[in-house]
This record gives sequence, structure tokens and C-alpha cells, in this order.
Amino acid sequence: MEAILGYFSSLNPAALLRAAPGGIAQGLVWGMMALGVYMTFRMLNIADMTVDGSFAAGGAVCIMLVLNGCDPSLALIAAFFTGVIAGSVTGFLHTVLGIPDILAGILTQISLYSINLNIMGRANQAVNVNKVSFYITSNVKVLGQTIAVTGVFCAAAIALLWWYLGTQHGSALRATGINEQMARAQGINTNAMKVIGLALGDGLVALSGAMLSQYQGFADVNMGRGAIVIGLAAVIIGEVLGQAFLRKRLNLWLTLLFVVLGSVIYYLVYVFVLWLKFPADDMKLLTAVVVALFLAVPYLRDRKKNSFRRLTRRNADSGKGA
Amino acid sequence: MLEIRDIRKTFNPGTINEKHALNGVSLKLQDGDFVTIIGGNGAGKSTMLNAIAGVWPVDSGQILIDGTDVSGLPEHRRAPLLGRVFQDPMTGTAAGMTIEENLALAARRGKKRTLRWSVTNSQRSRYRDLLKMLDLGLEDRLTAKVGLLSGGQRQALTLLMATLERPRLLLLDEHTAALDPKTAAKVLSLTRQLVREQQLTTLMVTHNMKDALQYGNRTIMMNDGRIIVDIEQETKLRLRVEDLLQMFEQSSGAALDNDRMLLGNV
Amino acid sequence: MKKLLALVLALCLLCATAAAAAEEFHVGILQLVQHDALDAATKGFMDKLTELLAADGDTVVFDYQNAQGDSATCSVIATGFVNNNYDLIMANATPALQACVSATGDIPLVGTSVTDYATALADPEMDITVGTGINVTGASDGVDGMLYAKMVMELVPGAKAVNVVYCSAEANSVVQYEAFKAAMAEIAPDVAVNNYTFADSNDIQAVVTGAAEGVDAIYIPTDNTAASNMTIVSNILQPAGIPVICGEENMMAAGGLATVSISYTEVGTLAGEQAYKILKGQSEVGATPIAYCSQPVKEYNPEYAEAISFTVPEDYVAYAPAE
Repeated sequence: MEAILGYFSSLNPAALLRAAPGGIAQGLVWGMMALGVYMTFRMLNIADMTVDGSFAAGGAVCIMLVLNGCDPSLALIAAFFTGVIAGSVTGFLHTVLGIPDILAGILTQISLYSINLNIMGRANQAVNVNKVSFYITSNVKVLGQTIAVTGVFCAAAIALLWWYLGTQHGSALRATGINEQMARAQGINTNAMKVIGLALGDGLVALSGAMLSQYQGFADVNMGRGAIVIGLAAVIIGEVLGQAFLRKRLNLWLTLLFVVLGSVIYYLVYVFVLWLKFPADDMKLLTAVVVALFLAVPYLRDRKKNSFRRLTRRNADSGKGA
Repeated sequence: MLEIRDIRKTFNPGTINEKHALNGVSLKLQDGDFVTIIGGNGAGKSTMLNAIAGVWPVDSGQILIDGTDVSGLPEHRRAPLLGRVFQDPMTGTAAGMTIEENLALAARRGKKRTLRWSVTNSQRSRYRDLLKMLDLGLEDRLTAKVGLLSGGQRQALTLLMATLERPRLLLLDEHTAALDPKTAAKVLSLTRQLVREQQLTTLMVTHNMKDALQYGNRTIMMNDGRIIVDIEQETKLRLRVEDLLQMFEQSSGAALDNDRMLLGNV
Repeated sequence: MKKLLALVLALCLLCATAAAAAEEFHVGILQLVQHDALDAATKGFMDKLTELLAADGDTVVFDYQNAQGDSATCSVIATGFVNNNYDLIMANATPALQACVSATGDIPLVGTSVTDYATALADPEMDITVGTGINVTGASDGVDGMLYAKMVMELVPGAKAVNVVYCSAEANSVVQYEAFKAAMAEIAPDVAVNNYTFADSNDIQAVVTGAAEGVDAIYIPTDNTAASNMTIVSNILQPAGIPVICGEENMMAAGGLATVSISYTEVGTLAGEQAYKILKGQSEVGATPIAYCSQPVKEYNPEYAEAISFTVPEDYVAYAPAE
């Protein structure tokens, strides 16, 4: 009992508040990746496994360009196009060579591991923080600026995506994901749409990887490990919360906003779990539990109002009264 | 304007599931022909329509539309010439998109899709007028998601989308089969109206022999992947359903045993 | 009046010295992943620092965090530490150090289990004998590759082929492989030295099996992934009777024949000493040279030696696990 009291007293809420901005900044960086995953997963119905590889590729390309004197902003753009290439390769494997979409993504991801090692020449490449200054950095003194910059990037991405998906071309892409047969009957080249969607999605993911590499000051060949899981978690958290809070008023751009929010929440959960100081081994389990709670609460709240059990009880009660 | 020269198609060749779906089908359509197609199960009716649409390439033979050989074109490249309505009401529209977005997709069939905004105000008024014609109350629900509509409403919408940009050929694949009789009648009268107004060349597969005789200026009966009976306008006017059944027996050497077709006409 | 003044003065002096004596320091520890070597370094650091500060009457509160092997998590933890305004941060392993460097340019950072600081900080011109010049110092776990090469040739003089197994994603391992290869080229140019790399723990089984084919000895540098999975490795190599020279003691204890042993506890202890001096203001972090371990010891694992019926030269120290 004393131990438990002692544990709780050792937790300092102020420390949690102080650690939050770091979580928000990382959440916004990964939020860009969540937008890319939303593009392929929700718009095209493809679980794009390329993501783990294109994320690291973006980081690798960005760091190597910066090390060779390139302007950090240009490096970000180059990283985006690296992702576009990666996504196009997956699209090619799937549409032209007929490889099932998940497998095509995995093949590209595996290839990118070797390619990334070749790009960096080594497994881990850092940037000398004294020689280069980034707008996106984990340096706590300018964390406010970092959050602002990444926030603006995400807002711009949301605006661009929302605009594109409302154009004739973007509508055709959405139709491809919803009803491929109908899309073809309307003259849409569904294969081309899939490649474009994958290219766009992976471009955003690679951009996110580049942003992270600037944030943490180094690129690591394994930095994309588990990215698809984080992306999907962010998308689903965002959608569930968006539904719960906005219901009918939830439209496309609000959904995209919530997706980025989902990523921020995921990282705040991480920060929270770290703050709890549970044994290091249990951290991943705890993160999963907290995320599961997040998703279960709106569902259970709905069920409370309308479920089979309630109906049975209500009928039994009214039956008794009769 | 449509000419099919001896097309053949076999599914799963060389396996236990091998099916000779089309065994040398030839057909010529003039501009403005409204042809109804009937036949038993597995006769090849839908297969022929799919072959014309280009869902897959035929094994041999040619398909010409307005004199151009389209046999080598994939589905989406033939789509500008065709309007299609499927048997499953879910297939013809995109459930997750709104009515106006669906119509906008159909409006761009055959045209290059640019980065211009997909639904504009000028188009909206056009869509509203067209939807009024359906008399289903859809003109007030332009921003409703299509997934919320009933099967009949979706099928009517699909028909509208198929004829939005006048197609050279309208392909209707048992498009009222999944609807209740009242809605089916509505969709059929809408079909007749649109075909007449736009003078569309139409191929309509139906399982209802009465409808097959009432609609169109020509009826084709298929069996075993072949056209066995081709009835022109004058003969059609004189025929009754029993006559059709007799003709089938004579031409194919077997009784028509498709329950749906028989029972639907009682 | 004078007495009162004297009393007050004496009290003030007492309080001052008491206040000066009873300082409490907050130190954050960021460890990349859990395995014996890194754990030993952390423990050595914590023990030494606590001991040295206690001698002055000071206390220290540690905030230990483990990044579960995820480099992105390192940034989350690092920014958290910096936000909490800790007096010093200890970074255990290269990605941890890099994340900390990015998060702060002010708080002193002491690294452990980093082999090459110049590469880790992307500053090839750095003179580690003088100091990094920025807010970083630390202890290195590097051992001269020549010592491993000499050990291999000493244990297996007739060797024709030696394979090096490590994780391609770990920069430190690559550095050690290059050093080993260069050393072997010098002292035994006829021996074929090849590397077999795995991408992550999923590939270890297949890669090690491949590396075991027709080879006379295997060298495994201090690789975090290999260290976390030594059981898999030894399950393949021990039955095959292959002498395995490991990068450090804990790996050898888990499934190797011999090692040039430095004690990771010592690495941690050295870092702890550096940290003490920095906290007490006795040395400037940027001017503290990187510390290296004292004379490494040639160790062997009697259990493994017996299992593959291998006789080890006299001057090797038998490894005995601490009770």
C-alpha cells in the first residue's frame, strides 16, 4: 500500500505538462505520414506496406542532401519526390505486374532497406547541429517554433488534399477506391489512378520522414519500422473521435484534420505512458491499452443508449407492469 | 452501328470449370435499334454484353462500333462510347460519394479529367432538372450520399448517369431484376423515355418475356452461347409469350427450363 | 548584542554550508534498448555518481527511461528530459545521444556505449582527446580492432576463413567490422574475412546459419541486436563447434567462446566520474576528453569451451558470472 502511495506521489503532473509539447511536435510530424496513409488506405482501399520503407527513404535523402550543403527546405521537397517514386514503383508492381497490393508494398519496402543503406552509406547518419539549423528541430528552446512550422505544413497538406480530392481528377481517384467496376464504366483508367494515389500517399510519408530526420537531427535506416501501424492507428483514432464529436457535421477536411489530431493524440499517449514510469518492458502493452480505451469509450457510450440488453430490460419492465 | 463478328469466349480453358460462354456470336445493329435479349441460365446474355463493354478480351472475333474495331480496347477506353446499367444496383454508383459527385463523374465520361472543380453551380442546375424527371425526390438531395438511397433510386440514378452524355450504345444487363415490380415498372418506363428522347441504340437483357416483347423493335433469344432466334419488328408485334417458348424448343431442341423466366410471366 | 550577532552569523554560516552541502541533482538517463551490456553501463553510472555525490553530502534523483529500441522514441524522451530542466542527461547508445544533442545545446550530455563519438556527432574533425567542444562528453566502449584480430589468430592459428556477423542497421558494428578487417589484413592477409549481415532480429537465424558454413571462426562485434539475441546465435554455432569471439563479456557469457573484455560497468563508471565533475562545476563538458576503458582482459567462457571441446591458452581468464 505504501509502495503504491509512494509511486503515485512520485508522479509529478507538472512534469507531464512540460513533456507534452515534445509529444505534440512529434505528433504533428507523424501527422503528415498519417495523411499519406489515409490517402492510400481510405481513398484507395490499399494497405500500403511501402510506408515503412518510404518513410526512412525520405529521412535518408533529406539528411544526405543537407550534409552535402543543400538547403533544408529543398531537401524536404526532394524527399517528397523520393516518396513519389517509391509509391509509383509499388503501383507499377501491382497494376502492371499483377502483384497483390499488400505484397507489392512489402517488396518495395524490402528493396528500400538496401537502397536507404546505400543512400546513407551507413546505417545511421547524423547532422552536425552546430553547422546546420533547421526550422523543424527537437531543440526545446525553439519547440514553439517547431510546432508552428509543422502545424502549418500539416494545414497546407490538408488544404491541398481537400482541394485535389474535389477536382475532376481527384473524384475519379475516389471513385476508383469506392467502386472500381463503376469507375471503369465511367471511362476512368483505374490502374493509373491507383499508381497516382500510391505516389501521392508515399510522397507525403517520405516528407514526414524527412521532417522527422530534421527534428531528431539524424536519419536511421530503421526509422520507418512500424510506421504503417502508427499511421493506421492515427487514422482510426482520428475517425472514431471525429465521429464521436461531430457526427453528421464531419466532412472531408474535418476528417483530415482529425487524422492529424489522431497522430498527436497517439504521441501524447506515449508521453503519458512514459511519465507513468511503468517498467520499461510493459510500455508497449500500456500504450496499446490506452489507445484501446480511447477507441472503446465512444463505442460503449453509444451502446449504453441503444443495445440489446437495454431493450430486453425495458421490455421485461413494461411486461411486468402489464 | 454495332457489328459483332463471330466472337467466342471460353472461361477457365482446360480445367474442370471450363465453360464455353460464347460460341460464335454474330450480330448487326442499326442506329436506333432497341434490342431485347432473352435466354435461359448460362445462355451467354450477360457475357455478350460484357464482351461488348470490354471487361475482358474475346478469344476470337471482332467487335465494331460505328465501323471502328474496338476489340483491342480495354474497358475504360471503350467507356466513352457506352452507357451501362448493371443488374446489381450497388455496382452502378459510388456509394461513398454524393449524388451530384456521381453525376459529375458520368459527365466527364469520355472527356479528359482535369484539375478543375468537379461539381460547379452551372452543372448543379442541370442535374436538378434531370433528377426532377425521375420523379423520386432526388433533386432536393444532391448532397446526400448515394449509399443512403434505395436500390430502385440507385438504379434510376445509374440509368441517368449512363445517358448523361449521349452514349453510342446503351447496355442494360437485367437492370430491373433486383427491384420490386412497382419500381421495376418505373425504371422501365424511364428507360423507354430516355431511349426515345435521345434515340439511343440499346441492348437490354431481360428475364421477363412479356417485357422482352413489349419493349424494343427487335428481340434476340440466346442459348448455349449462340443466338438462336432473331425476331424483327413485325413478327414481334404478333407474338405472345407461348409462341416464344415454342420457338425456343424448336431452335434449341430442349424446353426452356429457366424458372425465373417462366414463373415471371404467369 | 554581539553574542546575538555572533550566534546569527554562526547560524547563517551553518545554514550556508548545510545548503551548499545538501544539493539535490536531477539526472535523466536515456537508454536505447534493454540488454545486459547497456544495463551494466547504466548501473555502473548510477552507482558511481551516487557514491561520489554522497561523499559530498549531495543526493541525486535519476529519471530512467528506455526507448524500447525505437529511435523516434528517443526524441520524445529527450525533449521530455530537457523540458524538465534536468542538470545532466546520460545517453546510453548512439541514437540516444543523437536525439539528446538535437534536443538541447545547453544541458550537459554524457554518453556511454558509443564507440565513435566523432561519427555519431557528424563532426570528423573533432579531437576526442581534447573534448567535443559542444555540450557532449562520455565514455567509449571501443576496443582496438587489432586486439580481436590477434585473438582470433591466437585461438585458431590455422584458420582459413573468418566470418563477421552483425546487424546492418547499426553503425557501430560496421565501424568495428572495418577495423577488424583492416587488422586481419595486416597480420593475416591470407585469411578470408567476410561479413554476414542481418537487417533485424527476424533474419538472425538464417544469416547465422549461412555464416556457419565452412568457416573456422566467427567474430561478433558489440552489436545491440546480436547482443539481445545471443541464444539464437549460440544455438546454431555451438552445436556446429565453431569458436565464437564476441565483442564484449555479456555476449560471450550468453553464448560465445572468448572476448577482449572491457567491462561495461566500467564504461558506466567512467561516465559517472565525468558526470560528477561536470555537476560539481569541476570541469567543462565540452572540454572533457572521451574516456576509454583501462587495459582490456582476454577472457574465455569455460562452459562454451567445454561444449565445443576447445582448449584455450593459459593466459586467458576464465569468466565467472557474478554471484
